[in-house]
Amino acid sequence: MKTLLLPILALAALATPARAQTGTTQNPNRIDGYGAPVSPSVPVSRAAEETTIDIIGGYYQQDGSHGAVEGGRGTQKLTDVPPAIIVNVPLDTVSRLTANVGADFYASASTDRIDFALSTPSSYDVRFHGDFGYSREHKYKGTIWGVGAGVSKEYDYSSFNVAGSFAKTSRDGNRQLSLAGQVFFDQITLIQPLELRPGYAGSLTGKGDYGSDKRQTYNLSATYSQVLTKRLQAAVSTELVSQNGLLSTPFHRVYFRDNPDLNPEPTPSGDFAARFPTAARIESLPRARFKYPVSLRLNYYATDLVQVRGFYRFYNDDFGIRAHTFEVELPVKVTQFFALYPFYRYHTQTAATYFAPFAQHSVNDTYYTSDYDLSAFSANKVGLGLRYSPVYGITRFRVPGQDGQGRPRVMRLKSLDLRYANYWQTGASTYSAANRADLKANIVSFDLGFAL
Amino acid sequence: MLLLPAGAALPSCVSVAAYQKVYLNDEDMKLATKTVETPETNFESYREGAGGANGGKVGGGCGCN
Repeated sequence: MKTLLLPILALAALATPARAQTGTTQNPNRIDGYGAPVSPSVPVSRAAEETTIDIIGGYYQQDGSHGAVEGGRGTQKLTDVPPAIIVNVPLDTVSRLTANVGADFYASASTDRIDFALSTPSSYDVRFHGDFGYSREHKYKGTIWGVGAGVSKEYDYSSFNVAGSFAKTSRDGNRQLSLAGQVFFDQITLIQPLELRPGYAGSLTGKGDYGSDKRQTYNLSATYSQVLTKRLQAAVSTELVSQNGLLSTPFHRVYFRDNPDLNPEPTPSGDFAARFPTAARIESLPRARFKYPVSLRLNYYATDLVQVRGFYRFYNDDFGIRAHTFEVELPVKVTQFFALYPFYRYHTQTAATYFAPFAQHSVNDTYYTSDYDLSAFSANKVGLGLRYSPVYGITRFRVPGQDGQGRPRVMRLKSLDLRYANYWQTGASTYSAANRADLKANIVSFDLGFAL
Repeated sequence: MLLLPAGAALPSCVSVAAYQKVYLNDEDMKLATKTVETPETNFESYREGAGGANGGKVGGGCGCN
C-alpha cells in the first residue's frame, strides 16, 4: 500500500493553493450507510448553513435461477426494503456533523435453503446500520478535513469502520482533489449448510454453536475533478481496495463433477440427497483480494432543457474479474422546478478465476465457487426518475423548538426524488444456456429532502 | 492510477470565474451519484463482482444474501 500512497500524496501536493469554492464535488458527504463521509463537500455557491434531512426509501425485488446457496442453481428470490435517514447539521460556519442511520429489511428465499427448510434464521433478516461523521472546512486554504465511524449489524454479520478524508480546492475553484481512507473490521458467523455442519444431526441449534471468522477491508480513494468549460466538467476517480480474511460465504455450497463422496443421509424434511447424489462442499476463495477500479464522470450542460451525465468505469482485480461499466443519464427540465431523467446503464464483466457453474468444479481445485455474482455476464439497467423541487419548497410545517431569533421552527419539504429501474443480467455465451446468469430485478426508490 | 496524473495535467486550459458557473452549479451537474440512487448502487455492489470508484459500497456490512 505504501507504494500506492506516495503518488497519491504527491498529487495532493500538486493541487494548487487555494481558497475559493468549486462546483466540482465528486462525492458530497458520501455517507452511504457503509462508511463515514469520505469526501466532504465544498459548498457550491449556495447557502449551506441549514440543517438538511433526507429520508430515503424504496423497494427492491429480484429473481433468478442460480442461487449460490444451492451451488449455482435454485431460486435467487430476494426482496429488500432499505429505509434510511441522512442528516447534515452545520455546527457553525466551518464545521458540520453528518449521520446516516437506517436498516435493510430483507427476505431471501435462497438463504432459506441453507437447511432446505422454510424457516431458517436467515430467511428473513434485518441489517441495521449507522454512520457518523464530522468535517471541518478551512475556507481560506480551500481545504476540508473529515473523520467518521460507523457500524452495521445483522444476524450473522457485524461490521465496524473508521474513515478519514481530505479535500483541497484550487484558488479559482475549478479543480478539486479529494482523498479518503476507510478501514472496515468485519466479524462473520460461520453458518454452514445443514449437511456440512460438524454437528449434523441436529446438535447445533443456536448462533453461539457456530464458529466465527474475520474480514478487514482497506479502502483508499482519490478523486480529481476539473471544470473544463462553462458547460462541461469531469472527475477521475480511483478506489483501491485491499481485503483480507474470510472472503467466501460459509453457507454457499459447491457441487463437483468428480466428487466420490455420496451425499449424507437426507434430513427428516428432506429432499437434498435427491438434488444431487454426491456431496457438496463449502465455497472456498483466497483470503486476500485487491481491487483497482478507475472511473470517469463527465457532465455536460447541453441546453437549458437537457443535460448529459456520463459515467464510465474500468475495473480489475486479482480474482481475475475485469469489467466495464457505462452509464448515461439525460435530465430533461420539463418546467423550471420539475425534471425527468431517463437513464441507461450497461455493465459487462469476466468471471473470477475460481468460478464454475453447478457441478463443473473438480475436487482437485484449491478454490471454487458457483456464486453467479462472480460469473461472466453482462447487465442492462434502464429506468426513469423525476425530481420536483420548487424554489420555496413543496410544503412547510412547524416543528418543536425555536430558531436563534426566538421564532417557531419551520421544517420545509424542499424536494422529492422518485426513481424506478429495471435490471437484468445475461450470462456469457461461454456457458451452456442452462448455466447462464438470468437475474432480473426491479427497484423503486425515493428521496424526500427536508431543510430546517 | 494513470488517469489521475492525466487529470492533473488538464490544467487551467480555461478559467471559469465563479459568476460564470451558473450552468455548472445546476443540480444535475453535480459530479456524484444522486442520493436517491443509493439503493441501486448498493444492490449493484452485491450482484456484480466488480465495483468501486462510484461512491458506492466497497466493503463492510453484508445484507447480501
